[in-house]
This record gives sequence, structure tokens and C-alpha cells, in this order.
Amino acid sequence: MSGIFFVLRSSFADFKRSKMKTFLTSLGILIGVFAVVTLTALGLGLKKYISDQFEALGRNTLFIIPGQVLQGGSFSASSFLGGNFDIKDLTGLSRIRDIKSIAPISTKSGDVKSHKKTEYVTIFFSSADFKDITGLNVSKGRFFNKSDVGKKAKVLVAGKTIAEKLFGTPDQAVGQRVSIDNINFEIIGILKSTGGGGFGGSDYDAYMFGPYTTGYVFDPGKKFIRFAIKYNENANVNVVKEEINKVMLRRYKSDDYSLIEPSQLMSAINSIFAVINIVLVALASISLLVGGIGIMNIMYVTVSDKTKEVGIRRALGARKNDILIQFLIESVILSVIGGVLGLVLAYLGVLAVQSVFPAYVDVGSVILALGVSSGIGILFGVFPAKKASDLTPVEAIRYE
Amino acid sequence: MIKLVNVNKVYKVDEETDFYALKNANLEIKDREFVAIVGPSGSGKSTLMHIIGLLDKPTSGELLIDGKNVSKLNDDAISSLRNEFVGFVFQQFNLIPKLTVLENILLPVMYARRPIKYDPEKKALALIQKFGLSGKESSYPNKISGGQQQRVAILRALIMEPRLILADEPTGNLDSRTGEGIMNLLKNLNQDEKITVAVVTHEAEIAAFAGRKIKVMDGKIVKTK
Repeated sequence: MSGIFFVLRSSFADFKRSKMKTFLTSLGILIGVFAVVTLTALGLGLKKYISDQFEALGRNTLFIIPGQVLQGGSFSASSFLGGNFDIKDLTGLSRIRDIKSIAPISTKSGDVKSHKKTEYVTIFFSSADFKDITGLNVSKGRFFNKSDVGKKAKVLVAGKTIAEKLFGTPDQAVGQRVSIDNINFEIIGILKSTGGGGFGGSDYDAYMFGPYTTGYVFDPGKKFIRFAIKYNENANVNVVKEEINKVMLRRYKSDDYSLIEPSQLMSAINSIFAVINIVLVALASISLLVGGIGIMNIMYVTVSDKTKEVGIRRALGARKNDILIQFLIESVILSVIGGVLGLVLAYLGVLAVQSVFPAYVDVGSVILALGVSSGIGILFGVFPAKKASDLTPVEAIRYE
Repeated sequence: MIKLVNVNKVYKVDEETDFYALKNANLEIKDREFVAIVGPSGSGKSTLMHIIGLLDKPTSGELLIDGKNVSKLNDDAISSLRNEFVGFVFQQFNLIPKLTVLENILLPVMYARRPIKYDPEKKALALIQKFGLSGKESSYPNKISGGQQQRVAILRALIMEPRLILADEPTGNLDSRTGEGIMNLLKNLNQDEKITVAVVTHEAEIAAFAGRKIKVMDGKIVKTK
């Protein structure tokens, strides 16, 4: 309808004449939308990152870690303390029928020397099943196998990034030698990049991997810090857990280890992030509220400025609702201008941090931002607009 | 066409005092008439015009249009009646500064509730041509002369093809020659287009264009001849 176009055109004509006023009025909404979208993007990104980490572990996965993991997903300090599982546990657990693959894990961090360079690296020692459980792939060479484990072969598989650091290009790394604590190892494979990571999660690209038997050279106690277990797809998880507990309780108290099901942890993490997101959005919404009040303030001024115009329009046949809608459209446009600019800024901001932080803007927050900003336009515009539409034509047209 | 029956317009000055802007006004304006509403300032002639033009409601009494009592209509119906039935011409021109000449002329079309049988834009352009405003379609009101602005205001009043044009001191802000041009224009509209015209004025020369004078004094219609 040409009427709406007419109203829009005349609103934009007003905005064009007072660009500064328009910008400043929209600024509150801009900041509010920017804050809401950015914070949601960061929260969602963090949550997605963590879910992806768990997702990467695949389904049907269980972990055994030392110490007690509290209900609700928070970790007690003891769960990060050193390892105390050993080969007996591995043997015992391997006998459980429904366990398809099991990877004992121990780590060693230290200087790794190639002929060119020295880098500080964390090495994971595990079984050949590790590749299957983590879903890692080799881009060149091969992963270590059962025979390497049996032979305590001095072989390592390197992540892409660390291979680059040590040897220039990852392709040249296969077959090269490195030494750790004066013990020589051969690089037998390079992993495909898993990407992501960067802040504490398992960024496999930066790590090296070797057979757990080989890892014993660095740990006379021959301990493991955790087990990663994959059970058969058609097995009942509760039965599997029961079996595992049976094995574990033969040697440990129930407080000494925790059996973790990632899906359980995931739901705990999801609920934590839900709360965090709500708090962040609530805080950011305060600036939306302030922005809305700013718009209301300016709209009241605009109504006074346009009293004469209202009178003219009424004399020409405009109904109260026509006037109401005209002012509402104006406040909604003001608000949406702020909303769109805030969204664009937030999007650019998220793009800028994406390389170091897994933030992302989802469609939901875009719709929310635009919906909320037009909602604010209506909510805070309706009182000034009502005032304008309630002016009596005679008084309005006489107004100077 | 328009009939006022015992119309009063009362403003409360304070608890005890009422001010009668119009007192017991009876009046009839016939179809295709050209009348002048005359009287000194403060006499109530503007109030009379506002009531005839449906901009204001009488405190009591009836306003009949084509025999129909419109005093009881709701605000929306009154607004639409203003839109279709009346065209206003003001002393201050009252064009909207941010809209172009063409947009100002087309403004009433925006508020039309009934389908318009003709193409308003074509009609507006034809009127612009006819009234010597060619080339000013996209100009803004502050870029054209007072006489041109008043002509734009008249075209705005004409765009809905109203039956009545109400002009409130239409020459008050114009020099006498331009004012005379405007009055001739209104007279032609009355004679050629058969539009009823009512002009509010305090100037005798302006009133002389009308076929009949309605004199208002102290809120009362004292003479109509």
C-alpha cells in the first residue's frame, strides 16, 4: 500500500534532516542489541565448543577418572590429581564383554627435540584403540598399532601443528627422529588437523601420541590417569556401567574413581550455560531498557515538534489511528535502526574474535535482536504516539 | 447542504463563568453557494468555521449535512467525512515542509477510506498544470512563493473532489494582488466546478467576492444576506 510507503518516506525525511538526533536516539538500542547478541554469541559458542568436544568422543563412550566428580557436573580438585590406575585395571576392564575398545591414558609433558628445534609438547600414551575412540585420522604415515604396543616400540604420532613446528612441513616429518629426555623416537604418522581448540580443550593438533607401554619409560610407576571406553552399540549403558563398577570396586573404594558418561556431563554443562546465558542477557537487557527510555523521551519531544503537522493531517482526514501508527512507525524505525547497527557491529565483533574464541551468531539471536528492538520501539513509542493521536484537531492546527 | 441548528460552543473560563464562542447559531449554506463569514477578530467566526469544517464539535445543537445529523458521529467517521466532504485552505497555508508540492497535494489521498474512482496522481499533475505550477512538482514549500503555496494548498483541498471548500483568511498572508488572484481562483471553482465555497475573512474587499455574507458578532450570527 502506498500509504505505508508514504509514512516511511516521510519518517526517513525527518531522520535525514536530523541525522545526529536519530543516531544518538538509536545509540541506546544499538549498544543494547550489540551487548545481547555478542554475549549470546560468546555463550553459545562456548557451549557449542564444549558439546563438540564431547561429540567428537562419539557415542557409547565412558570415562573412568580418579577421584570424585560431584553431582551437577562440577569437578572436585581430586579429579585432576595424578593417575593411579594401572595395567591390572586395563586387563580387568578388557574382559567385560560389552566393551568394544578401551584406551588407557597417561601423559608426559616435556621438551621434544628434532634435528632443527626444541618444543615443549604434551604426549598422550595410549593403546591402539585410542584412534578409534577419539576418531582421529592419519594424513600421512600410520597410527601406532597393537604390535607397537606389544614391542614397546619407540614410535610417536604427531599432531599437524606440532609437526610443522618441529620439522617445517608436516609431510617431511614422517620417518624423522626426535628425542625426549635423551630417548630417541621415530615419527611414524601425522594426524589430520582437527582444527578448533585453542583454549584448554583437546586440540589434538598440538599433541603427540605413543603406545602406553612406551610411556612407561617416563613413569616407573606405570600408572594411567584415565580410561576412555567405547562399548557396543546395542549394549545397555547401565549394564556396562555396572560391570565396570564391579571390576573397579574390587580394587578401589567408590570415592576413588568416577565413571563418567559424557551425555550426563553434557546435560549438566548445558544447564550451567543456560543459566549463564540468561544472566548475561538479563544484564545486557538493562541497556536495551535504557535505550527504550531514550526513544520514548525523544518521541515525546517529536510529538511536540509535530503538533502542527498532526493538526494538518487531522484536518485532511487522518484518523486517530493513522496518527498513532505514524508515530509508532517512527519509533520502531528509530529502534530498528539501532537494532540493525548493533547486530552488524556484534557480527563484526564476533567475526573478529572467532579466530581465538568459538563465538558464533545464530539465527535465533538475530531474530530476537530485531524482534526485541521493534518491540521496544512499539512499547516505548506507544505513549508518545497516543499523546499525538489524542490531540484535538483544532488545538493542534492552531499550535505554533 | 449544511445546516446549523441552535449551535452553542461554550468554553469554561472558571467554575462560574462560561464563555460562549457561539451562541444559539442558526445557519444554512446551500449547495453551490459562495458565502463569506465576516466579523471582527474574536467574534466567533473561526469557531463557526471549525464546526462547519468538522474540526470542532458543538457543545450543543445540531450540525446537519445533507439533512443528516453528524454531531453524534464518532471520531473516525468525522475524520473520513472531513477527508471526503471538505477541503481546507488556511491563512498559514499549512503545507507540510518536508513533503514536496506533489506529495502535499496527494496527502489527503493517503487517508481515504473509500476507493477513489480516478487516478489521484494523474489528477494532481493535471491540476498542477492547470493552476500554473508546472515544474514545481518536486519543489519543497519553502522554495516557492506565498501565492504558489496557497495555490498548492487549494489543490490539496481539491484532490479528493470535495463538495465544500472552507477557506480561513486565505489572503491574510498575501499581498493584495496575489490575494485577489487566489479569490478569483476560488470564485472560478465555485462557478465552474460547482463547489460550495465558504471564506472566513475580516476584509470587506475579500467578502465582496462572495454571493452572500454571514456576519458574526460576539458569538452570534447577526445578519445573513
